[in-house]
Amino acid sequence: MATWTIDEPRKLTFDTVRRLRVRTVAGGIAVVGTDDRPTLEVSELDGPPLWVRHEDGELEVAYERPGWPGPFGWLIGRHRRQVAVISLAVPRDCEVDLGVVASGLMVSGLRAPLVARTVSGEITLAGCSGQVEAQTVSGAVQAHGVAGDLWAHTVSGDLTLVEGGGTVGARTISGTVTLDVSTPGAGDIRVTTVSGDVTIRLPHASDLQVQVQSTSGQVASAFDELHREGRPALRSIRGRLGAGTGRLQANTTSGHVALLRREPEVRESP
Amino acid sequence: MSPVFSHGMLRLYLLKLLDESPRHGYDVIRLLEDRFMGLYAPSPGTIYPRLQRLEAEGLVTQSQEGGRKVYQITEAGREELRRRQDELDHLEAEIRSSVHYLASEIREEVRGTVHDLKQELKQAAREIRRQQRHENRSRRDWHDADAAAPRVERRLRDLLTGTDQLLHRAHLTEAQIRECAAILDETFERIREVLRDKR
Repeated sequence: MATWTIDEPRKLTFDTVRRLRVRTVAGGIAVVGTDDRPTLEVSELDGPPLWVRHEDGELEVAYERPGWPGPFGWLIGRHRRQVAVISLAVPRDCEVDLGVVASGLMVSGLRAPLVARTVSGEITLAGCSGQVEAQTVSGAVQAHGVAGDLWAHTVSGDLTLVEGGGTVGARTISGTVTLDVSTPGAGDIRVTTVSGDVTIRLPHASDLQVQVQSTSGQVASAFDELHREGRPALRSIRGRLGAGTGRLQANTTSGHVALLRREPEVRESP
Repeated sequence: MSPVFSHGMLRLYLLKLLDESPRHGYDVIRLLEDRFMGLYAPSPGTIYPRLQRLEAEGLVTQSQEGGRKVYQITEAGREELRRRQDELDHLEAEIRSSVHYLASEIREEVRGTVHDLKQELKQAAREIRRQQRHENRSRRDWHDADAAAPRVERRLRDLLTGTDQLLHRAHLTEAQIRECAAILDETFERIREVLRDKR
């Protein structure tokens, strides 16, 4: 086992890292997948020293005495001084677990499962193909090219997924949900909001069983194949698109829902 | 569009790639992917609009070659590149040596893409909602018309029975018959006009 105490900006490299766990307070955490040697880069540090442990392929970065700051810890502003800007390059198959209170998280180019949690920070995901779990209270979640399954929960943050592929579970209270789905038979898409608007764009030809409803918001769809239910006829839509292999469910209490349709694919030949 | 991109690295880098040689949009995307060390592949939806913007600014030109678009840098584009060469070298060196820098580049890139898409879909959603509210309203008007139809039918029956009685009472001249027929024709024509408008 190797440990380091880091009290100023510096760089460390490791031989193997199969699992990564980071717990910090403020600043920022970024993790990118790499084929080179695993690297930890602390580029900014304000407050107590960071503690790094590397053992048997497991890398952990946290504060020396992480502990519980007490129920009123946030009141006395203890974490105001705990700023650490951390960037890591890890192998693409490394399992990653990130937790931070008040800073953004960025993860890119991983194939393994990922858990990213923050309270007020924004979560950015790019090109992740493993299973992803993203949670934030007031920050936004933005993902580009997440091919694997994505579970994203926010309270007030907006959730946006561009070129999403697999199963998507999105839940938010007042944030909006915007999905741009690029694969026709996309797995299971479940969206739940209380007051946030839901906007989903599907490929021109999709294979989905669709069920969409809003208690008091308006539901609009660009697909003629889907029929409206009940009266007034703007609250709910259901039906089948194509072979109906995947599933799309969206539920909201007072948000509006819009199902948009992409133009038919015109590929520019390579 | 976040300002980071209109003045930032990506734009310079596009120019740099086109300075090396004229390229297809597809080549540009592939080379950018290399630049991000395969971590992130910008989508055609990100790159093409940017190339178009550069074209609008006169920094690149575009031509058709075998059915595909080929982009080529202009003298103004070269000038811009020369002017910012130091900046470009500096940023490239940083990217190669710093995970932190690479990560923030990717983050800005994603942020820009997500922002653009969100705006685009928001606009489309607003449009489709407006459209369907409108459709729904006209459908409701039509339902009201259905409820009103019996009233029209009653008037029609009254007209029939009333006219029938009048016809049996008098001895009709040829002129009277022709006039009555003309009135009925005209009435029917007008009703048809009114209902066609409603639809």
